[in-house]
Amino acid sequence: METTHVPADELRRALIAADPKLSKFNPLPRILAFDEFNTGTHGWCELIGNHDGHGNLDTVDVHMRDFRPPQISSCDFFDIGTHGAMSGNYALKVATRPVTGHTAVAIRRLTMAQRGVVQFETYFTYKSEAVTEESSLGNSFGDVVWDGNLHPSEAQFGAFTVATDLCDGDGIRYHCVARYQNTDLENRFTRRWVYPVVPEPTPRENLYNQENLTPTEDFTAPNPEDWHALDEEPQFLCYNEVPTKVNWHYLRWQFDTRTRTNIELQVNDRIMDMRDVPVPQYPDKYDGLENLLNFYVSVRTHSPVRNFLFLDSALISVDW
Amino acid sequence: MKHALTAVLERNTTFTADFTTEPYEAGWATEARWFVRTLALEGDAPTLHLATQVSPDGLHWCDDETAEQVTTEPGLVSWRVREFGHWLRLRASLRGGDPQAKVLIYLALKS
Repeated sequence: METTHVPADELRRALIAADPKLSKFNPLPRILAFDEFNTGTHGWCELIGNHDGHGNLDTVDVHMRDFRPPQISSCDFFDIGTHGAMSGNYALKVATRPVTGHTAVAIRRLTMAQRGVVQFETYFTYKSEAVTEESSLGNSFGDVVWDGNLHPSEAQFGAFTVATDLCDGDGIRYHCVARYQNTDLENRFTRRWVYPVVPEPTPRENLYNQENLTPTEDFTAPNPEDWHALDEEPQFLCYNEVPTKVNWHYLRWQFDTRTRTNIELQVNDRIMDMRDVPVPQYPDKYDGLENLLNFYVSVRTHSPVRNFLFLDSALISVDW
Repeated sequence: MKHALTAVLERNTTFTADFTTEPYEAGWATEARWFVRTLALEGDAPTLHLATQVSPDGLHWCDDETAEQVTTEPGLVSWRVREFGHWLRLRASLRGGDPQAKVLIYLALKS
């Protein structure tokens, strides 16, 4: 059944503009979730792979066993103490281990009451971990030589990803995915938005072949060649010189579950048209995932340094 | 209502040497409780020694005032931590001949 909305758009916009919590977002007509992390994790939890009917965690895929629990972070650093978030004290932090190739993932699980346009908005920042005497990799790394302004920790950050796990009522499963690749696997700056051209490997594909993927495999699309650039231009984000300064970036991403396609991605002042970005579907139909509407954010380090993705807040809205 | 959060810091991980868990930020929490579930403890008279560590920045660590816990067999052990500042981790040392421990480590936090 189609929902009819009263055309009170101006009043609605005024109410949103008058609310200091919502006015920094640009939601579609219905807000499904508004997550400000001063009040907990709001359903963003660790992702792990599937285990067997005995609850034996040894049967979880090795590359999906250690995506790390998210943290409620006051953005504390060694040099200034508490930085705080954009909306109050606390942000959601997703942190990798200091292991090259390690990925940390936080997921939020919903279902669709109807198909249509879905929008994910967040204010985020990303950082590498500050160094200690023991963990320092020196004053140059990747493309960066420390000169007082530039800092090698920026080149120690790999990538972060915003993504979905979607499945129709008729069993067609697919993922809309967008990744900011800060550096390539050689730690050279790329600063590109990329997307995968293959669906994510499934637990069933790996069940009898655990050698298939290593613990540090890129679980979204393991082969680097399966990631293509969204467009020709890099996007420079605000790292702000050292690993202990936090600046919040706006991200707004739309996709359409009616057409199973991306629409657009906005990151700060840049809007990228994603209508032609392909969304690979799984060849097999799925039972038990009807109307799946999952969101995940992940962060992947390309260096032996912890990488962090912080979300100040997130808002999920729909046009139904 | 209080806020509560449980983090699983290690999941069916097998250790053969001393280790520390990943840093965990918990400035919002008033109280914490470690749960260490030892699935297997093997070797020659193996013991697993567990101590809470605290940190102001997630980089530099020291033991807190809580007594060290000693595990000698599979099972669940737990102890509480309070007034811990903003960062927590667990320091574990394995003793005995060729010791090996398979553990789950939970950190349960409450505001």
